[in-house]
Amino acid sequence: MPKKSELMPGTLDMLILKTLTRAPLHGYGIALSIKRLSLDVLTVEEGSLYPSLQRLLLQGWVKAEWKKTETNRRARYYTLTAAGRKQLGLELTQFEQMIAAIGRVLQDA
Amino acid sequence: MEFVLRYLRKLKFLLFRRQFNRELEEEMIYHREQVQKDLQADIASSDAASKAAYRQFGNQTRLKEQCHEVVVFRFESVAQDARYAIRQLLATPSFSLVIVLTLALSIGANTAIFSVIQGVLLKSLPFLEPEHLVRIFLNSAEFPKFPLNPFDFRDVRDRNHSFESMAAFTRRDLQLSGVGETARLYGISITAEYFHVLGLRPELGREFDRRAEIEGNGSQVILSDRLWRTRFAAAPDILGRKITLDSLPFTVVGVMPAGAEHPGNSYHSLAYGEAIDVWSPFTFGSDPSQRGSHYMDGIARLKNGVTLTQANAEMDALMAQLERERGGGDPWRATLIPLYQEIVGADRSILLVLLGAVAMVLLIACANAANLLLARAAKRQREIAVRLALGAPRRRLIRQLLTESLLLSLLGGALGVAMALGGVKALVLLLPADFPRAHDIQVNLPVFAFTFLVSIATGILFGLAPALRASRTDPKQSLHESGRGATASGRQHRLRNALVISEVSLACILLIGAGLLFRSLINLIRTDPGFQQEHVLTASLSLPREKYKGDDAVATFYDHLVTALEPMPGVQGVAVGSDVPWTGYNENLGGFTIEGKQPPPHQEFHARYHMATPDYFRALGIPLLRGRFFTEADKKDAPNVLIINQAMADLYWPHEDVVGKRLTFSDKPKEKDWVTVVGIVGSIKDQPNSPGATPAFWWPELQQPYPDMSLVVRADGDPQALVDTVRSEVAKLDPALAVADIRLMNQITGTSVATQKLVFVLVGLFAALAIILAMIGTYGVISYSVTQRRAEFGLRIALGAQRGDVLRLVLSQAAALILAGTFVGLIVALTLSRVLRNLIYDVSAADPLTFASVALIVIFVAIAACYIPARRATHSDPMNALRAE
Repeated sequence: MPKKSELMPGTLDMLILKTLTRAPLHGYGIALSIKRLSLDVLTVEEGSLYPSLQRLLLQGWVKAEWKKTETNRRARYYTLTAAGRKQLGLELTQFEQMIAAIGRVLQDA
Repeated sequence: MEFVLRYLRKLKFLLFRRQFNRELEEEMIYHREQVQKDLQADIASSDAASKAAYRQFGNQTRLKEQCHEVVVFRFESVAQDARYAIRQLLATPSFSLVIVLTLALSIGANTAIFSVIQGVLLKSLPFLEPEHLVRIFLNSAEFPKFPLNPFDFRDVRDRNHSFESMAAFTRRDLQLSGVGETARLYGISITAEYFHVLGLRPELGREFDRRAEIEGNGSQVILSDRLWRTRFAAAPDILGRKITLDSLPFTVVGVMPAGAEHPGNSYHSLAYGEAIDVWSPFTFGSDPSQRGSHYMDGIARLKNGVTLTQANAEMDALMAQLERERGGGDPWRATLIPLYQEIVGADRSILLVLLGAVAMVLLIACANAANLLLARAAKRQREIAVRLALGAPRRRLIRQLLTESLLLSLLGGALGVAMALGGVKALVLLLPADFPRAHDIQVNLPVFAFTFLVSIATGILFGLAPALRASRTDPKQSLHESGRGATASGRQHRLRNALVISEVSLACILLIGAGLLFRSLINLIRTDPGFQQEHVLTASLSLPREKYKGDDAVATFYDHLVTALEPMPGVQGVAVGSDVPWTGYNENLGGFTIEGKQPPPHQEFHARYHMATPDYFRALGIPLLRGRFFTEADKKDAPNVLIINQAMADLYWPHEDVVGKRLTFSDKPKEKDWVTVVGIVGSIKDQPNSPGATPAFWWPELQQPYPDMSLVVRADGDPQALVDTVRSEVAKLDPALAVADIRLMNQITGTSVATQKLVFVLVGLFAALAIILAMIGTYGVISYSVTQRRAEFGLRIALGAQRGDVLRLVLSQAAALILAGTFVGLIVALTLSRVLRNLIYDVSAADPLTFASVALIVIFVAIAACYIPARRATHSDPMNALRAE
């Protein structure tokens, strides 16, 4: 089994915020969504997912509410707030700048 | 704004914590179930899937804690740590008690000494901008700190550009009569603007202006708040009232508020503090060419931006200018000393030594506590290993252990403050009466803050190493070993040994300090003072000039008094003299002529002058070395005679027979102006610890009468019993005369070594505490090591070792540590004891006797402390040991 890629530090918050732009999701849904969208390359450890969600809640970038799932279970759904959307934009810009910078370095070398 | 919102959200989490936990749990269960469902598709057995899900999900408790850490306030986990720490401490009460008590003692000692330092050294002086205040003295080769002459002062006051204001003052006690019992009031006479210089304002009325400095205008007075309240019932209409001082009417022009402190004076000194009852104006005499008398203390306020050096240079220049104008010889130079330094200077080093001593005690207590914690950490290794295995992060564990040590030190600190409250009271009582600012010593807010900080620092100091050490426990290893109780690593041994060595060496240093101070105190007490202090009563009398006009009236009064007291029962001898030994008398006379001698260039003959009636030396037990004492025949019209002390004979007539030699105080002496030396008496130093005696001479009181005299009565038995006799005989002669300063001679000698005694008692106490702590520490380490090695000892005994061999084995391990500690202690003490040099008398700071005896005591005491655990080692049961293996 190939070793799963670790997430770049500091990118988890951004990925969570990004997954939430489409629709509100519960914790498991977020993890699943990241896994699928990355074609199984990125796995989110539960150990970092929940502390990260608490941090986002605390910053006011996401909201949480309890809703029923398709299977009629209770689950906590996270929704992106306006502040979260702004923060995502900010982080994306920074991230793209960094990727571009790294790319330049790699090309040059 | 964002910050506030975040805080509010945090607060919400805190308030609805239970809900938060429940929700988190539910969320995680849901998540795990989903994972399980996914896995079930791959794995056949649902049980295996559930286990895999659990594994993938990880340590759920740990995860919850991580989520918690994101949202909770720091103090929540601190409170949690504290609760846990309290449980831990209560679980081992005797261990906790030992640590808390030793810390309490040493923190309490630190608090007490710091209260003194805070009051005396740190608290700013109660004057306006005291850092600008300087005391002014003159100096020459012979007199490094000499008082001012009034006219020099007045000229400098007029001409200088360095000072914002200047004043001079001199001791002037006044006798208050007509209001209750006649009493001697302590006082000084002051030039105009004196209070302005200090930045003090009268509570009522005003201070003296320059008109009061003119002769004839001096009958004004300013009262202290205390005098105004005690003698005048705080009368609001006191201003303008005439009161009788020294039999003369004085007008009250002001009352100073409470706390108007005396900055201290050097000539006929009164101690710093609220020592003054009454301030009177200083009036300048009418002949400004009379500049030979120096008796004024100077004080001035530097102008903003003028440095001490600049002001000093200007003073030097002005003194030279004044000398040139008068066509005189060598000018005086000036010495400016910051007021703060002048007040606390001498006692600063004492306090710093004490602070150093208590700091060492605290370090020993820290080493002790660290040692005990290390021992306990070894016992708790299993608990720590379990917590680490369960995923407790190292940082959290260190914090937990530090919380425990902080709890111990804070408890110790709290108890220490309670002890200090009592200790400081005792300390202030023990302080010598003239100790500056003693009344400023309190256990107050800054002291509490200091103790709090010291407690925290202490807790971290002794807790950090054990905590770091414990957190490095390898869970796997110690859980495996746990059956046999983990042994300490070699590293831990080294740390504990180092702690014991430092405890022993610190105790050694303190004991050497105490030893040196003890020897010095013994020297001071044993040294022959030059007089016999037992059975002597002294008092001072001051005849008002107004009532006793002229020398004859004064001489007659004292003659009558001596004659009246002599036949009284219990009286062995009575005399009056200008002063009694060791009371700070410091009058000097310079410029006399010795027949057939020339003073060294740029110097003059000088000596301390005294007056005495014939029995003075006999009453004080001062030995006559050559010649004779004064007699009744040495009176006004008889040939002028003088008695000198050995120091003066040695200085001016070395190797000569002095009796019969002559000197004169007159510039153009006629035959009758020559004074003949008729006797030589033993020298007495100014203070018991003065380096040497000052040259001095005595005039017969009948030839040189003076109104302010000391009465000396030698008693057959208890001199205290003669107090009433003296009072009533004085009252018979003059009912309006106050008998002041009633003291026994041995009270005076006791006071003069009070500082040395106090320093010794305190350092001795600290040293005793130190050696006890070091004993506990050594005992602890050896006892622990014996417990650890019990199996080994049992085995040795089983293999045929004698119990004596085991005893020797343990004691030699202890001895190695103790000897190392003692050695280090002696070496460090050799360098450190130099700070005591100014505090010890007639003992070398490297006194071999002290060093050797301290080394022996420390070695003996510490080895004795190890004897009990060593004995225990010899009782190791071989069977037990074998079974355990």
